[in-house]
Amino acid sequence: MSARPRLLLLAGDPTGIGPEITAKLLALPETREAAEITLLGDHHVFRAGAKIAGTPESVFDGLPFVEERIGQIPAVAHLSCEAGAFTLATLRRACGLIRDGKVDVLLFAPLNKQAMMLAGLEQEDEMHFFAHQLGVTSLCSEINIAASLWTTRVTSHVPLKDVSGLLTAGGIFAAIDQVNSMLRRIKPEPRIAVAGFNPHAGEGGLLGREEIDVIAPAIERAQAAGILASGPYPPDTMFVRARKGEFDAVVTMYHDQGQIATKLIGFERGVTLQSGLPIPVVTPAHGTAFDIAGKGVAVASAILEAFRVGVAAARNSRVHDARALGN
Amino acid sequence: MRLGITVGDSSGVGPEILLNAFSRGEIRYPFFAFGDYEVLTLCAETLGISVPIRRASLNEEPHPGEIGVIDHALLTSTDVTPGEINAASGHAARAYVVSATHAALERRIDAMVTLPMNKEATQLSDPDFTGHTELIGAICGSKDVTIMLASEELIVTHVSTHVSLAEAIRRVRRDRIERIIDLTCDAVARLRDSPRIAVAGLNPHAGENGLFGDEEIREIAPAVAWAKERGLPIEGPFPPDTLFYQAVRRKRFDAIVCMYHDQGHVPLKLLDFEGGVNVALGLPIVRTSVDHGTAFDIAWKGIASTRPLIGAIDMAVKLASGAGK
Repeated sequence: MSARPRLLLLAGDPTGIGPEITAKLLALPETREAAEITLLGDHHVFRAGAKIAGTPESVFDGLPFVEERIGQIPAVAHLSCEAGAFTLATLRRACGLIRDGKVDVLLFAPLNKQAMMLAGLEQEDEMHFFAHQLGVTSLCSEINIAASLWTTRVTSHVPLKDVSGLLTAGGIFAAIDQVNSMLRRIKPEPRIAVAGFNPHAGEGGLLGREEIDVIAPAIERAQAAGILASGPYPPDTMFVRARKGEFDAVVTMYHDQGQIATKLIGFERGVTLQSGLPIPVVTPAHGTAFDIAGKGVAVASAILEAFRVGVAAARNSRVHDARALGN
Repeated sequence: MRLGITVGDSSGVGPEILLNAFSRGEIRYPFFAFGDYEVLTLCAETLGISVPIRRASLNEEPHPGEIGVIDHALLTSTDVTPGEINAASGHAARAYVVSATHAALERRIDAMVTLPMNKEATQLSDPDFTGHTELIGAICGSKDVTIMLASEELIVTHVSTHVSLAEAIRRVRRDRIERIIDLTCDAVARLRDSPRIAVAGLNPHAGENGLFGDEEIREIAPAVAWAKERGLPIEGPFPPDTLFYQAVRRKRFDAIVCMYHDQGHVPLKLLDFEGGVNVALGLPIVRTSVDHGTAFDIAWKGIASTRPLIGAIDMAVKLASGAGK
């Protein structure tokens, strides 16, 4: 019998919809059945979330709680440096627990990146913050999951004109390899489509050479390593085929190449999975949604998907299995 | 209303799509087919499609009960190789487009609808051929031609299309964007009442105030300001990833001006792979196209969908009549 994974749950930026969707998530019976949940944060924030969501406070009963205080809870739907500092503190605390081997999966409700930057976040996003805190220097990639299609990208928050210079066969191969390793925990022999960079995937070199120079060699290397990678595909038809189920994952070359599609396909249920860190880290792909925060209308569909993906990824990881056997 | 429909590369799905659409009564407007009489009759015979086909002339009126072919007499039945690259078919496809374009320029037809060419095949006889739309643009002497993809849920236009992404980025310049905004507003106004049009950024998060690139600040925002000053219904630049979601799922915008080919083509194809109509903007004539290729894998099997052609025809008529939604 395999043990339930130990899931650390953060309510996210208190000015956004994080606390309310966290409460809604905990109100579902499946969550306690699927994971050993520990809450981390300020219990006032959790309770305020339950109030907005209209869930009873009993949803928190019996769950271990790691306290991290915020001074005064800021007003919802307003950018707050204090909230940013608080969320950074909760992330740091979470990393401490991860380093101590006490967590199998981390799930955090939406953070507000601008708020964290106002509060002094030095890295470009929280994934890089985690990497820094956890001493990870190898590749970390963000995987977006929408309607069971996994999408990852070789480059992220950089100007589009810089992307071509950042593409290397080694870097593309690493992205293919990483999404393959992660997805294999959930689905055997995943089929991975690799996007071209140019329209029509460069049309044999007529519309650019990145496919010929770096992308195709990376795919060959992945195939030689036994990965079911194929491409490079014209990006516009690739997503259509992926959505029909022809592929389990797509590797894109730049941020918007994948993000436009994933948000269109599954904004309400989209999940972001950070791979390359010591444990799976998951969060809903949507943001803090100031336009609806505090109104009690935010739905928990994406955070539930994030929960499911995180638990599945943790349950099938070798580390978790080792711990279960050791029990 | 007289349409001209070019049959495209005879090795591909063009001929059968035209024949099937006509035989099913799906083509509701008078038209001439620009192609080869022998190819169409052979295709009809091969696929068992029973339709009257006749050689016609632009001096007459199209007859509703039959397919009138402006016969280019370039291909005989032995020249046709369904599903295979064929230099003669590629050459003929080019000829059909040239003559239909001239017919449109001379106002002998009101609009031109094109079935797919095969670039590789046409390049065998014309190495300078770079694309269907580019050819038409060259004949018309038009400089700033762009592609609009229109589906029911969303319309997109592009600052550039068939160039490398590196080249597309170089073309994100204020004057070019202004020109495309202008063409977009004009076209969309014929298709939607009170249109709302957004301009996409180029970089992730539209550059996030210069953190991830400065094209928004230096080129795109000034173009948007120019448009607003002229009273055009334009907003932006917006972060591309959320913009398409907002436009379609939250119905905030009718059309989006995109900075490069895939920025518009990826979401449009996801929304409506079959129904999206390809419209060339910036030409002195109305030209719409099916958005798919010659589909050699299914050519001459009678299974190719007629829906894209019907959409392209309906769009051509809308644009040619200058009608509103």
